[in-house]
Amino acid sequence: MIARRGFLQIILAGLGLTALGSFLYPLLRYFSPTAGEGEAEKLIVDKREIPVGGSKDILFHGTPSIIINRPQKGFIVLSKVCTHLGCLIDYEKAKKRFLCPCHAGVFDLEGNVVSGPPPAPLPQFALKIEGDNLVIG
Amino acid sequence: MLKAIKNWIEVRIGLDELVRDQLTEYRIPRNINLFYSLGTVAIAAFSIQVLTGIVLLVYYVPHPDHAFKSVQGIMMDVPYGWLFRQVHAVGSNLLVIVVALHMLSVFFMKSYAKPREMTWLVGFAMLLLTLTFCLSGYLLPWSQLSYWATTIVTNMPTAFPYIGDYLTEFQRGSSQVSGATLGRFFALHVMLLPALLVMLLGIHLFLIRRIGISRPPFGPGGQERVEWTQFHHESYPDGMPFYPHYIAKEVFMIMVYLSAMFFIIAFLPTLFSPADANIPADPFKTPAHIKPEWYFLAPYQMLRVIPSKFLGITLQMIAITVLFFWPFLDRKEERNILKRPVLLGGFIGALLVWIGLTIWGNF
Amino acid sequence: MGKFLRQSSVLFIVLVLAVPVLAGYRDIASNAIVNQAVVESEIENLCLTCHESAMMDEKRRKIPGEWRASWHFQNDVSCHNCHGGDPQDAALAMSPERGFVGVPKYQRVPAFCGTCHIGILKNYLASGHGRALMENGSGPNCVTCHGAHNIQKATIDIINENRCSQCHSYDRAKEMKHALSRTEQKIEDIEASITRLKAARVFTEEEDKEVFRTLAEFRTLFHVVDVSLVKDKTDDYLKRLGVIDKKLQGIFSELDSRRNFSVFLLLIFVGMAITGYLLSKTYS
Repeated sequence: MIARRGFLQIILAGLGLTALGSFLYPLLRYFSPTAGEGEAEKLIVDKREIPVGGSKDILFHGTPSIIINRPQKGFIVLSKVCTHLGCLIDYEKAKKRFLCPCHAGVFDLEGNVVSGPPPAPLPQFALKIEGDNLVIG
Repeated sequence: MLKAIKNWIEVRIGLDELVRDQLTEYRIPRNINLFYSLGTVAIAAFSIQVLTGIVLLVYYVPHPDHAFKSVQGIMMDVPYGWLFRQVHAVGSNLLVIVVALHMLSVFFMKSYAKPREMTWLVGFAMLLLTLTFCLSGYLLPWSQLSYWATTIVTNMPTAFPYIGDYLTEFQRGSSQVSGATLGRFFALHVMLLPALLVMLLGIHLFLIRRIGISRPPFGPGGQERVEWTQFHHESYPDGMPFYPHYIAKEVFMIMVYLSAMFFIIAFLPTLFSPADANIPADPFKTPAHIKPEWYFLAPYQMLRVIPSKFLGITLQMIAITVLFFWPFLDRKEERNILKRPVLLGGFIGALLVWIGLTIWGNF
Repeated sequence: MGKFLRQSSVLFIVLVLAVPVLAGYRDIASNAIVNQAVVESEIENLCLTCHESAMMDEKRRKIPGEWRASWHFQNDVSCHNCHGGDPQDAALAMSPERGFVGVPKYQRVPAFCGTCHIGILKNYLASGHGRALMENGSGPNCVTCHGAHNIQKATIDIINENRCSQCHSYDRAKEMKHALSRTEQKIEDIEASITRLKAARVFTEEEDKEVFRTLAEFRTLFHVVDVSLVKDKTDDYLKRLGVIDKKLQGIFSELDSRRNFSVFLLLIFVGMAITGYLLSKTYS
């Protein structure tokens, strides 16, 4: 009886330690910062490439985006992914707006919804001007 | 070295005596049954909620714009975030089951009888706190399900005349469920409720140890009664040692609890998360067939069945009040419920009505 | 003391009961149910009120039912989104001042649908179909293939012999359908995967949008009805869809590994339960 009890106790302790370890490892991973997210990566574009009113398509952190040199208001970087169903919006230079070809969502050059089905404005990315360079991110 | 440390502590706090009094020489009735372990299982389950809750708090953001996304991040991006969230979410449902069974078994064995009325009152308050925990936690993921289930539940006080609308707005912090509601429910869920529950738990445990554990009314010795005219510990000198005899049983029960939890996580991971839990909250679009969590379904269905919601909510308040003060209302000396057909009938009848309403409420 | 407690608890219950009773049964007869606060999602729509009434002739009365069965209905596109007018104002419901258009003329249909489907309109107008319609009013318009009110989610089977051979031989259409089929099949597979992930409560908004974008571009392009163009682009689309597919497969294998890990923990706890049980037996 005593031998059997000791044996069971050892098994219980062994399984208990395994269970503990099986939670400690995930916990350690949970708190470890995810490496290589690329969040810190910045994109540099020469601002002389974009005349006033002009634009340039870029891929920023995997998101198709657009840089616009707005008359009077300067540069802005916006995601090109329509917030309705994810189509890519077109920049209509003459009308100073963005138009989504899928369901006619219209955004102004700040990314705000003007009309149509999109539920939210276009995400905007941080932008800094350093000399002749535009630093995005 | 270990011995020296042990000795160092022993000299200062009398560890040996503590272990002797509280564990090895702490004796409990020989006819004690497995239902007595449900309290310990509830403590274990609550501790798991606290631990996983703290872990989730690291990445959760209590703001309408970020709450849903942060929960998605925990589920899909943070390594093993799914594990802690699933344990927390499934655990909350299982904890309600454990706490309910605990209360039912205490009721069934009439353990609330004199001198243990206070233990019942505190325990009942903890049951209500547990349900408030569930309710406030339900809103935090800010999904369609959270949003509209909370809308329905916080709307219930409007049944009260005059002060009803104010009560509803007071709960929400605004006229509709909004960021203000999320803020207060979050504070409630992570600060106030845990503090209150731990406090009540301390009182509950103190009362149990101070008065002594009750003897089950069934089996050998179950019918012995002590006239309670002045305070004394109810002790069982020839009973079974708490450690290791009963502890082993409690370990068994806690492992059954964890097995049930991981069975659900492995094979029924979506059991407690309907499709609406996967859609971000939209205050302008009510999902079809919204209903509260399964443990609120019976009262919810009752309110739907009774034509006046005011009458319905009043009946529920009465039911809760009667149950809360039950130890003072039940004055019969007989502790064995099997010898009290009326009480037994009422007990089984109420359970059946509850189960029936829950099933009905599902449709 | 016991008697006092009992009496006071009874008194308390009576008080709890009495306060609301005395305050009056405000809504005892109102038959209100709990979720009356839940805002009715379908606000009153005058178009439907009239079109569903007995005074409307049968053909027009069928329209709301057809619309309710449509893809537009599922995506919250209502009468006035296409026909204009004001569904909240009885006097101006069908007023041209509010932009009301009843039944657009045959030649005007593309512009009517193109208010929203701009990209498709552009490509359609460039196609043989569109040019025929615009030049001599004989080509097919949107409704010819997609129907009017009961519009369903577009599938490749809209291209079929019955429909195409009403105007011309099916040969070229068949070739077109064949060129589309590989991409369509891939899109269908990916949509099925996304449905499965949704059932597992994985939030797929990002993937949904990526698939929709690809599909929309592809469908727009196809409206040019130019077989060689579709053939040229197929590889490009398949590559893009392949990237999405790979991501989805990654989520599936992640879900599998989660289940495996959970089963491992389950086994450990079942083992501990059994050992704990046997251990407790050695003490009795």
